[in-house]
Amino acid sequence: MRIIIAGAGEVGYYLARLFDQELHEIIVIDNNPERLKRVEDNLGIVTILGDSTSYKILKEVKVETADMLIAVTEWEAVNIVTAITSKKLGAKYTIARISNMEYLLDKKTLDLHNLGIDELISPESLTARVVKHILKEPLLTESLKLYDDKLIMMGLHIEDQAPVINKTIAETTSLNPENCFIIVAIHRKGETIIPKGQTQIKKGDYLYFIATNAGKDKVLKYCGKVSITIKKLLILGGSRTGARVAGRLCQYYDIKLIEKDINKCKELALNLPKVQIVHGDGTNVKLLEDEEFGTYDAFVAVTENSETNIFTCLMAKETGVKKTIAMVENIGLFNHSLSIGIDTLINKKLAAANFIFKNIHNGGIYSFLYGLDAEILEFEVGEKSRVTQKIIKDIDFSALTIITSVVRNGNAYIALGNFQLQSKDKVVVFTLSKDIRKVEAFFN
Amino acid sequence: MDLLSNKRINTFQMLLKQIGGLQILLGFMLWVPLIVSLLYREFYSALGFSISSLIILGTGYYLHKNIQSVVEPLNRHALAIAALGWLSIALMGAIPFVIIAYITPADVAQQFVPAGADYPSSLMYFKNPLHACFESMSAYTTTGLTMSVHEPSIGKGLLFYRSLAQLFGGAGFIVLSLAFLTQSSSKAAALLYGSESSGERLQPTIKETARSIWKIYLGLTLFSTIYLIVGTSVILPDYPLVDTIFDSINHAMTAQSTGGFSTLDDSIAGYHSRQMEILYLLPMILGALSIPFYFRVIYEKQWSQFWKNTQTRGVILACIFGSFILTLLLWESGIVSDPIREGVFQYVSALTTTGWQTSNIGSWDSSSIVFIVMGAMIIGGAAGATVGGIKIIRIQLILKGLFWHVNSYFLSPNSIQVTNFNQKRLLPEQINKELASAATFTFVYLLMVFISALITAQFMGEGYTMADALFESASAQGTVGLSSGITDPGMSPVLEITYIIQMWAGRLEIIPLLVLFRTILKGSKPVIN
Repeated sequence: MRIIIAGAGEVGYYLARLFDQELHEIIVIDNNPERLKRVEDNLGIVTILGDSTSYKILKEVKVETADMLIAVTEWEAVNIVTAITSKKLGAKYTIARISNMEYLLDKKTLDLHNLGIDELISPESLTARVVKHILKEPLLTESLKLYDDKLIMMGLHIEDQAPVINKTIAETTSLNPENCFIIVAIHRKGETIIPKGQTQIKKGDYLYFIATNAGKDKVLKYCGKVSITIKKLLILGGSRTGARVAGRLCQYYDIKLIEKDINKCKELALNLPKVQIVHGDGTNVKLLEDEEFGTYDAFVAVTENSETNIFTCLMAKETGVKKTIAMVENIGLFNHSLSIGIDTLINKKLAAANFIFKNIHNGGIYSFLYGLDAEILEFEVGEKSRVTQKIIKDIDFSALTIITSVVRNGNAYIALGNFQLQSKDKVVVFTLSKDIRKVEAFFN
Repeated sequence: MDLLSNKRINTFQMLLKQIGGLQILLGFMLWVPLIVSLLYREFYSALGFSISSLIILGTGYYLHKNIQSVVEPLNRHALAIAALGWLSIALMGAIPFVIIAYITPADVAQQFVPAGADYPSSLMYFKNPLHACFESMSAYTTTGLTMSVHEPSIGKGLLFYRSLAQLFGGAGFIVLSLAFLTQSSSKAAALLYGSESSGERLQPTIKETARSIWKIYLGLTLFSTIYLIVGTSVILPDYPLVDTIFDSINHAMTAQSTGGFSTLDDSIAGYHSRQMEILYLLPMILGALSIPFYFRVIYEKQWSQFWKNTQTRGVILACIFGSFILTLLLWESGIVSDPIREGVFQYVSALTTTGWQTSNIGSWDSSSIVFIVMGAMIIGGAAGATVGGIKIIRIQLILKGLFWHVNSYFLSPNSIQVTNFNQKRLLPEQINKELASAATFTFVYLLMVFISALITAQFMGEGYTMADALFESASAQGTVGLSSGITDPGMSPVLEITYIIQMWAGRLEIIPLLVLFRTILKGSKPVIN
């Protein structure tokens, strides 16, 4: 595919990186040479300096032959104009990033599809979706639905109460009698381990599972987790993201939102029914105590300041809040999220990029798992693939890859060693990042 | 001449020029009853209207054309214009009563008295200019207290004039002038519009808004007219058709304006029919709902407004529960013969500040009177309608404010507590501001009612109680027009003037009068402490 990305900011950069892994032909346009340099230096992708709304630039990148145009600059108007112009010039599929929720809410009146934009994405709205998703499964540090919800990838933190501490995986098979889940990775002290039967589970480990729907509860039991439900939610920061999260979740939870700008508070109070708006500085411990923040089930820190978010989340964790979510600006921090001690980190650009990637793209890499050097891959087994000739344990994979599960005729199975793959099976493979190419070769 | 007094003269010149414009409208309005008089062959009345029209048009034209005013009306002037304008309308509007009373010979006047009745024509009372002013003020402020003891005996022309005055007074002369005269700049227009009405802008421009208001208002009147003609014909088929049409037109006009003048001697009770009283409930309630509400329903097709609109819901609920309570009280006291019939009609008539009377309220027990005063007349219908009273929305706001205040004790001090009110979300400072102005108004309003009740108690005739005094005072202040019997051509002039002032203040919601007095006493210079 030929993909043109307008805007080399965080979203554009991250998308370029995702698509590049799949050997697409990518061109990045931006009017900031420094950003383009970063793309070229780190990713080796072709870049064009210029304004993406310019007809000349669009001609120069041969937009008419593009399969996809993704406009993700910081400026909504630029994105919309770029997408519309490109569509008229012949781009097959266009995506524009917006920040104004109006376009998403009132689709009937102003139908941007007719104007030539195939997909509108709003990072704030997508972040709210992520938060909603996380709060639904508060025990999981990571969760990812695969194959139309038939399978789920779950990440859990092993704490004192887990019955599996200091046991090898082989020793714990009694806890998984129906083979409805499989451990696919262990994150321990900054290192990613692809587990074998004799790998020992330690306290403080982060375990990653793939489970069928029936296996979800078994996984929680395996890790000694008692299920909790979130009722009261405290949001810190009334930025667009905070407002969007509150607006989206107010029908499910009792929400209190703290914002330090009084005018923003007023605007939020007027526009968000059912949400209690509190005026105050989130970094002020006294205020947080006044607002009884320890009594909340979940704490979501989405101020503009990443440090504030991390700091208040740690404090909330300390006072007994069950689930803490911090928004961070710097994607680099994600690699350390597990060691920071916050349950979950979110980033709105990442949310946007992941959304585009997942929904536009059919098959292939699902997602990077931050903090892990591993990736989840999805393949359909090809007609003449080598893997159909043997049962799984005899396939000569690299030792660092696991075929985790298979969807066959609409049913999901956890794949064990003596499972025989057939063509047209859809498999989920867990592998260390460096082995992706090798694994791909097996299935095609 | 020094600059200050020069400025003050400029202000007054501007006021007079604006008033001149209103007088011209009034002068033209008189042509309608003139035609009615001619149709009924009441030539003395027709002559009276012609002379009055000429006098009023002449004065208006003189004021409007000859006064050179360079001053555009400002905020502080708008309210004074409204107050003075309404006073001038009421005073000039009294001219036809006086002239007709003087030029109609006694024997001709006596012909107005219906056959079989043996009382002197009530027209003669208007030879006293004070009575004429009272009647005129009562008409233009849509009150309905009357000096015509026996209504039919003043002639069809004057009856129609009274009803028409209520119709015009209800929608407001300033709104009318804004709709049809293009004299003011849009800024001045906005100020004037706000001074007389609820100030809600329905259309982008004031002129369009004023026109919409008149369209809706006249449309509703037309609807009520047809409804009453059809209803009366069905219920009372023996009633002469010409009279049915005349009565229905008049009553539709006085119901829509919630004025409550009637063409019958005993108001709606004059039909001696329970069904007729039920028939008349609807036009009264229609008149008590706000014009912006009709705008949303008719122009924007928002049918949900019937329940969502706080005021409409309030008026409907108040009518149901208030009628029920009044019925119970009357039934308990055992004074009236048919508590349900009189209780329901009188409550609706009082709440909507229409003032059609079907019961001898003077004979009621004190608890019923106090209830109808506190629970209906002082409250009034919806703001943005033609009703008087404190207006139901202010009562709702104050109640809401009370709950808001109590609830705030349960929130942390840093919380921003928003209140949902009247389909709007209000921030604390907004609701505080609204509450302050509603509470101030309510307080001043009640103060005026009580002061007037005390004056009434001093000057009323024998046989009335303090409850009656309170009732009469609340009726005048709320532009209701129900009477316990104190209002009568024989009443003390002091009381009569008191009521005139009350009706004037009640129509304009008091503040414009205070602004006018301030302008007269101290000019329009701001006070800086």
